Amino acid sequence: MKKYILKRVAMSLATLLLIMFVLFVLVRIMPGNPFPSERMNAEQIANKRAELGLDDPVLVQFGRYMAGLAHGDFGKGTSLYYGAPITTVLGTCINNSFRIGGLAILIGTAVGLALGITAALNKGTFVDAFCTVFSILGVCVPGYVFLIFLQYFFSYKIPFFPYFFDTSRFLFSSILPALSLSLFTMSTVARFTRNEMVEVMDSDYVHLAESKGMYGNMLVTRHILRNALIPIVTVLAPLIVDLLTGALVVEKIYGINGIGKLMVDSIAGEGVDYNYVLALGILYSALYIGIMLVVDVLYGVLDPRIRVASSGEGDA
Amino acid sequence: MGKYMFSRRNFLKLAAATGSASMLAACGGGSDNGGGEAAGKGIGVMLGTNVMSLDTDLATDGDSFEVIADCIDGLMQMDADGAAIPALAETTDISEDGCTWTFHLRDAKWSNGTPVTANDFVFAWRRIVQNQGEYAYMMSDIGQIKNAPALAEAILAGGEADLTTLGVTAVDDKTLEVQLEVPVPYFDSLMYFPTFYPINEEFYTGLEDGTYGTSPDAFLSCGAFKLSEYTPGTASLTVVKNEDYWDAANITLPSINYQVVGSSDNALTAFKSGSLDVVMIGGNQVAAAEEDADLSEKLVVTGAGYMWYLTFSQTEKNAQGGMLANQNLRLAFTNAIDREALVDNYVMDGSLATYTAVPPQFAASATTGEDFSADQEKFKDYIGYDVEKAQKYFEDAKKELGVDSFEFTLIFGNNEGDEVTKVAQAIKEQIEANLSGVTLNLQAMTKAERLDKMQEDNYDVALTRWGPDYADPMTYLGMWITNNSNNYGFWSNEEYDKIIADCTTGQYVSDYDARWAALYDAETLVMQEAVIAPLYTKANANLINPSVQGIEFHPVALNRVYKNTTVE
Repeated sequence: MKKYILKRVAMSLATLLLIMFVLFVLVRIMPGNPFPSERMNAEQIANKRAELGLDDPVLVQFGRYMAGLAHGDFGKGTSLYYGAPITTVLGTCINNSFRIGGLAILIGTAVGLALGITAALNKGTFVDAFCTVFSILGVCVPGYVFLIFLQYFFSYKIPFFPYFFDTSRFLFSSILPALSLSLFTMSTVARFTRNEMVEVMDSDYVHLAESKGMYGNMLVTRHILRNALIPIVTVLAPLIVDLLTGALVVEKIYGINGIGKLMVDSIAGEGVDYNYVLALGILYSALYIGIMLVVDVLYGVLDPRIRVASSGEGDA
Repeated sequence: MGKYMFSRRNFLKLAAATGSASMLAACGGGSDNGGGEAAGKGIGVMLGTNVMSLDTDLATDGDSFEVIADCIDGLMQMDADGAAIPALAETTDISEDGCTWTFHLRDAKWSNGTPVTANDFVFAWRRIVQNQGEYAYMMSDIGQIKNAPALAEAILAGGEADLTTLGVTAVDDKTLEVQLEVPVPYFDSLMYFPTFYPINEEFYTGLEDGTYGTSPDAFLSCGAFKLSEYTPGTASLTVVKNEDYWDAANITLPSINYQVVGSSDNALTAFKSGSLDVVMIGGNQVAAAEEDADLSEKLVVTGAGYMWYLTFSQTEKNAQGGMLANQNLRLAFTNAIDREALVDNYVMDGSLATYTAVPPQFAASATTGEDFSADQEKFKDYIGYDVEKAQKYFEDAKKELGVDSFEFTLIFGNNEGDEVTKVAQAIKEQIEANLSGVTLNLQAMTKAERLDKMQEDNYDVALTRWGPDYADPMTYLGMWITNNSNNYGFWSNEEYDKIIADCTTGQYVSDYDARWAALYDAETLVMQEAVIAPLYTKANANLINPSVQGIEFHPVALNRVYKNTTVE
């Protein structure tokens, strides 16, 4: 198992390095100017490019960038938040997106699991039908539409929640966007949990457990849910990354300075900010790779068969 | 005549543009919704974009300038009509030749308690010249500060530059002497532009590199407000009254809470909910707001300052081998566009159809007070909506070029406002309907790509805009000289270049009225040759909580000023 994990970590790091290089090259051939100036003349722009070494060969630039990264230096913005170190801006945005996204994951997973379990245990009843309709609605209705609905009723008609995100009341003003963002996760988790549980409940080993007199919570949590969780974890992993990395429209509507909005501003703002695009690309990639690594490890924890298989591979 | 004149409605709306909107806003009476922030707590104000920087050397956008100006005073400030009046400079002496300006500073303090000194200006201005950023040209080309052009050249060439030779000197702590290459008639009005604001050298150099202006702790105020909550990239920030401000007794507004709002729909609901007291709405919402009894009295249209226009590439590499170098073809285009229809049907926010290369309502003569472009009919021989005339020009162009059909591409930014795409589509329809044989393809892209293409001369026709940096026609006319970086059409005219040179550094610099007349001659050349096709001068449709009074709106330099703002 240990060898398996180490191998996966090494592969993940190599993948990340490759992605960073490809990103680095792609960003430099994107259309758009890193210094989108209407007032600087050609000499001034050339001067700014030279300051950042943008005219050097790509490999030289990449080497310099990696050396900076080794010291935690992502550079500075060129067309976005000029002058401020990227780590300062990124830190604030990550903080907001992660906390709201984290809350959304918690709400989405907890409510989704509860709904799915309830629906599965009440298969064929009104509760099951309600859960199915809710799941379909939740997947179909974008989070931002739900946010507009919540904002309209709970910030405008009944002015209880703040109309915009307010860092001085972080948790309170996170509730509406987190609820909106959690809708898709909630529905997806509910749908998968319900379907997987129904399937598992029909399997031979569950019937065997029942015939041996096992019932109630013990049967559901130890034998049904545990087996049903494996595909749910697979689905949940990319959803978690999506939620953590922010949701552009929700962030824009609710005035949240998060990384989703930052990504769009860095590409389609006044200019193309090489350093921000790169920093965010690396962040997204690292998150995806990291989460997939965790999922692989989780499989082993959740499913003894995988654990045995991987240790077998390790012994071989 | 009618089509050239501003409608009464627009005229009345624009009356508010250069002055205080408070009078109009005050007419609204009491409010039962807006004013959530306003009830004795300060005001909530919408920002259209994030504040990009609070460093005067790095900031380039209007929203950043607004917040900087809340917190830092210049030597001069704007009065309600946009005229320069004393701020940190209590008095000013100007030498007879107009080349030496001596500013005597008043007693003022930075928010860390240290006095504002002449050296704070010297340090900040030298820094602008040294870094050669976006607004460095304000020191050299516009401000004509002694040695600034030579220093810029030396710095950009990578050579040695002795910044002590820059024509700005701290005679003593309270006296700042500025020497100019030539007299600059509007020099006092430059002093309220943030590029010319001071920075406390000791404070700046004590900060970690790159952190100035990135937090309230890394920023000093000497203006009416000081920074309370801010991080780079934030969607909301707060400035609070600076009790140490030299004119604190006259500042009654306790705080401004800025909120970046991404869509005008959201802005409208936020205003109705009372979350914000000042918002900007889009053209498609203006008609609805005008019909709403409650909202209509809170609607204030102000001049945004910038003018949208078409620029034509005149080089051989574009437009079917340089077809748009043909003057008659460009004149055909500019006479085939119905600008009134553009502003009434597509922009719809009170923007003004514009028929001059210098837009109206921002540059008035210092001697007569007359707006340089008040008369929108002065070039009616060359520009207007006249299909017959357009077709005549078009026939002449076809004969001269020996071509019967033309296919060009119009590029425009799809992230530059909701109305821009609609305007581009309308221009295509009008041109193709009025000039049979012209196909105008549309190509949408980000503003960054549009600029890139224009700067690389890789376009046929572009829908672009320019906002005035200072209150003089030169902010527009200076762009069309040979090889200017904004002369995207690569038009070149010796006579024009000479007039502009005479007005900038030559024979007219000391004769205000002669210069003003010469600028008119220059504008005539631009219009005669249809170097650009002016379209409309943008307005902002604001909703203002009636309990908030005295916000001063300006189309140039600083769009909103809050020093005289009060909350009932």
